[in-house]
Amino acid sequence: MGAEEWEREDREFREIRRSKADWEFIKAQPPHIRAALIYFIERGDRYVASRIAGLSLDEFDEIRRRANIPVVV
Amino acid sequence: MRGVADACFLIDWSRYRRKEILEKLFDLLLIHEETLLQLRSPPAIEYVSSLLASGLLRLYPWSPDDERQYSKLRDEVSLDPRIPSLERPDLLCLVIAHRTGSVLLSENLGVLRVTQFHPIYSRVKVWTSLEVLENSIYNGLISVSSVEEFLEILREYEEDARHIFNKRRVDAATRRLKEWLKR
Repeated sequence: MGAEEWEREDREFREIRRSKADWEFIKAQPPHIRAALIYFIERGDRYVASRIAGLSLDEFDEIRRRANIPVVV
Repeated sequence: MRGVADACFLIDWSRYRRKEILEKLFDLLLIHEETLLQLRSPPAIEYVSSLLASGLLRLYPWSPDDERQYSKLRDEVSLDPRIPSLERPDLLCLVIAHRTGSVLLSENLGVLRVTQFHPIYSRVKVWTSLEVLENSIYNGLISVSSVEEFLEILREYEEDARHIFNKRRVDAATRRLKEWLKR
């Protein structure tokens, strides 16, 4: 799989995360959690998102689940 | 069969209603101490503790030579803009899988991409939960008699773990399963 296909895949996965997300829940979060969730929607990277949120990986994942943002792999 | 588990895989798998199949599919699972330290939530901690207690999951004895291999891999992939950021624990798992000839259990897109182009690490077999479920069927741990039943198994996992499997990979798995069902 080449770089172009990876870019296409990234766009497709981002769109899935955006469309499934509970945006009302996301907007109601404190700024750093909201920023982390939006970063995750854009990049799909749980590790960096957890760092933005100041949480452990699975503490962030719990919030991701509540925000209804799927992991797309 | 031997595997190495990363944190994302364990976090997601610990939520799955049929998670016990992993213990039947693998003889031994390895985990790095730093991966273990990433786990904090009760479901993941309880699940991993039970695997450690049963003896199926073991801490991998990390060596200075492993550390050198990690540093080399980090230098090769960390500046590649095509690779989603990979943290140290992700790369440690990749090094362990390569050195021990184990299947790497991961839900990390960056890890999957490294194994798609890297001359050494492309030899590592990476399974996401999709391939674990598929291989559980081939090993008689989940019984399905049609593609529709397989897709229902995937839907259960997607619901439990809040996942969506990539359609291209589901289609590939479905093709393999169709061939297997013909036997």
